[in-house]
Amino acid sequence: MMIAEMAKDTAGAEKRCEAAYAKAQALQPKLNDVITFVDPKEQLAKLPAEGLMRGVPVALKDNVCTKGIRTTAGSRILENYVPIYNANIVDRLAAAGAVTIAKASMDELAMGGTNLTCFQGPVYNPWDQTRMSGGSSGGSAVLVASGVVPMAIGSDTGDSIRKPASFCGVVGVKPSYGRISRYGIIPYASSLDHVGYFTRSIEDACVALKVLAGRDDRDMTSSNRPVPDYPALLNSDLHGRKIAVFKNVIDALPNPETKKMFLDLMAKLQERGAEIGEFEFRDDLMKAMLPTYYLIANCEATANHSNLDGIRFGVRQDGASMEEIMTNSRTKGFGPLIRKRFVIGSYGLFQENQDRLFRKAQKVRRLIVDQAYECFRDYDCLIAPASADIAPRIDDASRDQLSDGYLIAENHMVIGNFGGFPSMSVPMGFEQGCPIGVNLTCRPFEESVMFGLGKAVEEITGYRDLTAEVK
Amino acid sequence: MEEKKDAAYFKRLAHQLMFDLSDAEAEDIVKEFDTLGRQLTLLDAVDTEGVEPMVYPFEEETSFIRADEVSNVISQDEALANVDKKLEGHFVLPKVVK
Repeated sequence: MMIAEMAKDTAGAEKRCEAAYAKAQALQPKLNDVITFVDPKEQLAKLPAEGLMRGVPVALKDNVCTKGIRTTAGSRILENYVPIYNANIVDRLAAAGAVTIAKASMDELAMGGTNLTCFQGPVYNPWDQTRMSGGSSGGSAVLVASGVVPMAIGSDTGDSIRKPASFCGVVGVKPSYGRISRYGIIPYASSLDHVGYFTRSIEDACVALKVLAGRDDRDMTSSNRPVPDYPALLNSDLHGRKIAVFKNVIDALPNPETKKMFLDLMAKLQERGAEIGEFEFRDDLMKAMLPTYYLIANCEATANHSNLDGIRFGVRQDGASMEEIMTNSRTKGFGPLIRKRFVIGSYGLFQENQDRLFRKAQKVRRLIVDQAYECFRDYDCLIAPASADIAPRIDDASRDQLSDGYLIAENHMVIGNFGGFPSMSVPMGFEQGCPIGVNLTCRPFEESVMFGLGKAVEEITGYRDLTAEVK
Repeated sequence: MEEKKDAAYFKRLAHQLMFDLSDAEAEDIVKEFDTLGRQLTLLDAVDTEGVEPMVYPFEEETSFIRADEVSNVISQDEALANVDKKLEGHFVLPKVVK
């Protein structure tokens, strides 16, 4: 059932939300995708008479602050943190009648792409539990893919919605920078952070953005632009649409099966009337893309998380002095990956390194974004596989971090964060019984164009309301 | 001369960030730093002469100066709701003067 149908089915709201709450708990031993379950009873008693998401069960990534409900951001240091206010999107969802049933697992502080670093352990892929969900919004992706909820909130700083969406066979939307308020979202890297979400159809993705988008004075990066009526504007007619195949990514793809699947899809989009061309970014910029991201993200994160000290909030460890309390709290509170990233971020922020590293990365960011705008002068959309392969196995660490396959094919979606472009993953096909997605990136605030193209992909593949049967 | 980026260096850096690293973690960072160093040569290879740093994605103005009116007030109890050790509206810390 689509979200719009659920919202109209007022009589079924209670049963539907209770069933989602029960299903999430039943699947938890197999998927480990929830950090905190939220009993829907209280929310059901206060449902509005109508709303675009009335009686629709949803999940929130656990970096979304929920008043009175524990919010850990996947980190041990925030294991006991109970916010005193709601994120903007929590109020928006409640006003539309959505019912939160779970706070979903995530990589610690959203800093990861595997969902193996949450303090409560890894999230398992519902299509094959020996494989990872991808991250950092892995819990949210899995709750949607396994049919528990039709929509879950995620956040995306590099590709943290779009990559797990690809690995889990769902739609993953990262709208334009500023389209959805970030007030009340525990940050990672402020200039790259976006709030977004997962659904199992483009139709639902349109409804969700209509509910979530809009100006919020409490987020100084929130856009003043009016919010279009995305569901009403949804149109999959491709005549007149120009799509650029991301040539560097296709050239770097190590897996011929993914390449063939992608090229077959391009042929079908062309048959439906789209004009397909290709766009090639400068090779030196593509190779510099990952270090650019890594530096900007880690430098900003190091500054953002200096407030996690165990004294004002969070889990406090004993110590003989204030400094010792902070050091002990942060040592025990952060996992090894986070501490490593903070060290690298701090290195990049040293006065003597700022120009050479941090500022340099910000300049390269501009060059990459300028090239993307060159593409968007001629094309409505930049398209590429969302990942080079299906979800890796949980114990797989065999990646050459200097290969083109890794530097370009696995990390290209960060361009959407550099430029604030709307970008989403849509299921494209299956390999070895596991899904893989295609990524579409469009001009800023042209989400309607993106949804129309995504709808065409969905009609071609038939992957609407795709749900994993968890064995 | 640039300081050697060994385990001891990263442990010192971690202390400045108010956390410790185990020996294994520090060694791990040394290895990762080597990979990062090679990736950074790819960054260095890009000519950025005359390019302005990009701090945020869009130039359009979204911030504003709000009216000087009291808003979004939280109580002292709320402000201290997540404090582990508190007393009479204060954070409790070890004595500075012994």
